Amino acid sequence: MEEQKQAILSVENLKISIRMEEGVLTPVRGVSFQIREGETMGLVGESGCGKSLTSKAILGINTANCKTEGTITFSIDGHSQDLLKLKHNGAEIRKIRGKDISMIFQEPMTSFSPLFTVGSQIAEAVRIHTGKNKQEARELVIDTMKKVGISNPEKRFDQYPHEFSGGMLQRSLIAMALVCNPRLLIADEPTTALDVTIQAQILELMNQLKKDYGMSILYITHDLGTVAQMCDWVAVMYLGKIVEYASVQEIFKNPLHPYTRGLMGSVHKIGSGGGRLFSIEGTVPVAMNLPDRCGFYDRCSRREGVCGGTDPVMREVLPNHWAACWCAEEKEGCPNV
Amino acid sequence: MKPSAESKRNLTEGGGVPQAVSSRKQKKEEKARRKQEKYYTASQWQLMWRKLLKHKLAMASAVVLIVLYLGAAFAPFIAPQGLEDYSSSASNMPPTQLHFVHDGEFIGPFIYRYDVERDEMRNKVFVEDTSQPYPLKFFVHGIPYKLFGVFESDLHLYGVDNTNLPEGQEPLQFMPFGADQLGRDLFSRIIIGSQVSLTVPLLGTLISFVLALIIGGISGYYGGWIDTVIQRIVEVLSSFPTLPLWMALSAAIPAGIPVVQVYIWITLIMSLMGWTGLSRTVRSQFLALKKEDYVTAARLAGVSDMKIIIKHLVPGFMSYLIVNLTLGIPNMILGETSMSFLGLGMRAPATSWGVLLQECQNVSNIANCPWKLIPLIFVAISILAFNFLGDGLRDAADPYK
Amino acid sequence: MSENILKVEGLSKVFRSKKTEIKAVNNVSFSVKQGETVGIVGESGCGKTTLGRCIVCAHPASAGKMLYRAEDGNEYDLASLDKKTMRKLRKEIQMVFQDPFSSLDPRMAVYDIISEPLKANFPKMPREEMENRVKEMAQKVGLNPSYLKRYPHAFSGGQRQRIGIARALVLYPRVIICDEAVSALDVSVQAQVVNLLKDLQRDMNLTYLFISHDLSVVEHISDKVGVMYLGQMVEYAETDSLFRNPLHPYTEALLSAVPVADPDVKNIRIPLEGEIPNPANPPSGCFFHTRCKYCTERCGKEPAPLRELEPGHFAACHRAEELRLSGVARLDENEERA
Repeated sequence: MEEQKQAILSVENLKISIRMEEGVLTPVRGVSFQIREGETMGLVGESGCGKSLTSKAILGINTANCKTEGTITFSIDGHSQDLLKLKHNGAEIRKIRGKDISMIFQEPMTSFSPLFTVGSQIAEAVRIHTGKNKQEARELVIDTMKKVGISNPEKRFDQYPHEFSGGMLQRSLIAMALVCNPRLLIADEPTTALDVTIQAQILELMNQLKKDYGMSILYITHDLGTVAQMCDWVAVMYLGKIVEYASVQEIFKNPLHPYTRGLMGSVHKIGSGGGRLFSIEGTVPVAMNLPDRCGFYDRCSRREGVCGGTDPVMREVLPNHWAACWCAEEKEGCPNV
Repeated sequence: MKPSAESKRNLTEGGGVPQAVSSRKQKKEEKARRKQEKYYTASQWQLMWRKLLKHKLAMASAVVLIVLYLGAAFAPFIAPQGLEDYSSSASNMPPTQLHFVHDGEFIGPFIYRYDVERDEMRNKVFVEDTSQPYPLKFFVHGIPYKLFGVFESDLHLYGVDNTNLPEGQEPLQFMPFGADQLGRDLFSRIIIGSQVSLTVPLLGTLISFVLALIIGGISGYYGGWIDTVIQRIVEVLSSFPTLPLWMALSAAIPAGIPVVQVYIWITLIMSLMGWTGLSRTVRSQFLALKKEDYVTAARLAGVSDMKIIIKHLVPGFMSYLIVNLTLGIPNMILGETSMSFLGLGMRAPATSWGVLLQECQNVSNIANCPWKLIPLIFVAISILAFNFLGDGLRDAADPYK
Repeated sequence: MSENILKVEGLSKVFRSKKTEIKAVNNVSFSVKQGETVGIVGESGCGKTTLGRCIVCAHPASAGKMLYRAEDGNEYDLASLDKKTMRKLRKEIQMVFQDPFSSLDPRMAVYDIISEPLKANFPKMPREEMENRVKEMAQKVGLNPSYLKRYPHAFSGGQRQRIGIARALVLYPRVIICDEAVSALDVSVQAQVVNLLKDLQRDMNLTYLFISHDLSVVEHISDKVGVMYLGQMVEYAETDSLFRNPLHPYTEALLSAVPVADPDVKNIRIPLEGEIPNPANPPSGCFFHTRCKYCTERCGKEPAPLRELEPGHFAACHRAEELRLSGVARLDENEERA
């Protein structure tokens, strides 16, 4: 049934490398995934796994020293184009940015300029992409602000960011992202900077809006708890590669990759008392001069001889459940989840 | 899984299983590992230095500055003329032409003698007398001098071999930048002038640095009313227009005092004006660093206030301060030059780049002898070099980015 | 089990500026027994960090007492210490900071960072002894002693946090204030550090005050939990009792907001209306009444003091007895990890 839906975005073999003084950093080393219409895809990983760079590559907003390879096909209304082929910061990508694909960032406080009112900053996006006049834009913005749960939007429109609380600003940021009715929303750790109660409000809002607007969401986070609540499909990233990909139910019930299992074991589930947490030993290596073997090799609790050889590719271990592990079928030596 | 062992295990990186790898690969890995370890054990200053080395423009500027300062240090050796020498026949002489070929034959660098003639407008014209070449030589003996005020010598970097000169003629001089009204070699005067023009800013900055560190430090550390008072004083001081204040202060320098005293006075005036901005930098850095967790941690560990200042706070903003200092030197160079230019700084016979430019106050002088503007190039080059170096330092100052 | 090591009574901390007066900590009382872990939870701005900093004497308290039973058996009030006693007690109460990046001086090698408290407190300690002590600490926190020459930039967040813990432990303290000590770390590293803290507690008989906004971690590590709202302690109880059977509506809302890492469990969130009121101008009566769905007329008028409703379970709610609040169900034992 999932197969029938059309892929709105498909990323093929995305590679990003950054030239640094010490050498070439390869934070993204061949990432492929698809996002289908109306679905939420979660990209999960720890800091430094390349998830943010991947999302920024879609919008073409990585810094100039990033070298990006691969294809990112964005298709709407039977029309598809490779976003990576578009000129950097050219007119075409800017037309897509903010209109068809929009993004919410982690820090709502720094996403608005303190010099202008929140309303005018949202309205600016509307006027750029739709050519509406000032009054029409204002009405649309107030309407959207109401939808994202900002009370008294007429008054709020003319207020400055410092008059908003963190939660309200994040709502405003979501309003800004939604105001042009995007087909794809990229949410990069949208609730990490917020308190739990506010986080719950925002996640609920995003789920609601996804239904109302029928858009797809690329949800980037390190927090497995919110993934379970938000996503339809989950891709787990480690060291610049996707190591496991499955539906949310499948991945939480039957995680195959040792990293996914370790990650889940590390999270304390509320209500489970004070046992000992499983922890993945060691630290994430720096993505530079990596040997050609499984990236998780050094930290894996069930590595075998075969693991020291070539890097495993993603394979469909179970129906609709992909993992990049040579021994995905065995569960010995892994924490039970 | 075993509960106790796993978290205590040392966090060794990549404790991989031994594999069959060629020894060359192992060696390469070992080298990479050692390089990484060197980076890990490098202190902030080492990291900063490494980053600075990679900044080409800053390094080029540093080389330029080193050459300039070496020139100032060895001025009497490099300059063929002393401070008080002149040759009346060379008055307003243009830069001496350097030749290599005489009568179709290559004989190395040499110059011709100039004859003074008058053109139809009765202006002085220098015409080369091409009959006799006077070769240029390195390390010749000339007028005696004392290097660093200690070593007596009469050796000069270069000079003209005057052995073939007809009797009764003034010895010839190679003047690459021409001469001034009194027939003094402009190159020599620029080199000698750089002793003042390049050291006053350096010393001045150093004094303002100490002032800023003490006053800004007190202001930032104690806060409260002391801070308020100091900040008001800084505000008042920095609200005066600089140039008139310089003029007023230098007018207070008593006339007819020895050159050395004038020098000290000027340095003091410059530094008294320069510390205000720096002290604000110090204060703001103090305030910012005081809130850092590692300072709180040190306080909780019982480290004394004085130790915290010396070990955490001062090193913390030293790099910023050095950047600011470097970027502040150009202002001082300009200040000294303008003061001397206005006749308020160094006075003849002492010289500095500003004093040399005094002759350019007259427009017809510039029109007839444009080479008299050459000191300006030196001012510009040194200012640019300091600015580029400061830029490089600023980029290197935060090695953790 | 054992005696109280720390007893906070009516502690208040007021920050004054020209116009406003913010009671960051408002009449907080609780007690901590030796060897246990007390978690303090609350949203940003609730005063939990200020509370921690008052206890380590980084901020002077405005009112109240903090009675601390020192190693010598005497009881001292941390709120009114002379300099000499303060120096002595500093060694016994240490702190682990939130941000592993700003809590280590980037200009000091790891050895110097860990040995700094030793140098300050035992200036006459021979070099060898100091070296051994630092190495011992490094080993204890799982840091390879050969890394001691390195500078902080060589380390990842988790390793830096280990260094911070080693620095706090090097004086052999008895109480450690962990101010969001694992919040800035990645999940897998978080687990490493939480396990490490637990091991160290057992080995060195430490008492923790674990300040965090992350309820799951607090549940995992704490014996007792205090919930703070707008500078006040609204509930204080044994962890199990507080999570299973909350008596304050704010605790209930907080617990329901935690996302569960299980797609089949859909959160039944108890909506919390609005935002935290401005602490400079707190509401009248019970501070929480503006956002409480169980609010009555009385709540807006009378302040709600912290009351002992069940043995060892304190809550500050007028209606605590009548309300049936839902906590977090204990996960099935079978589902728990081995």
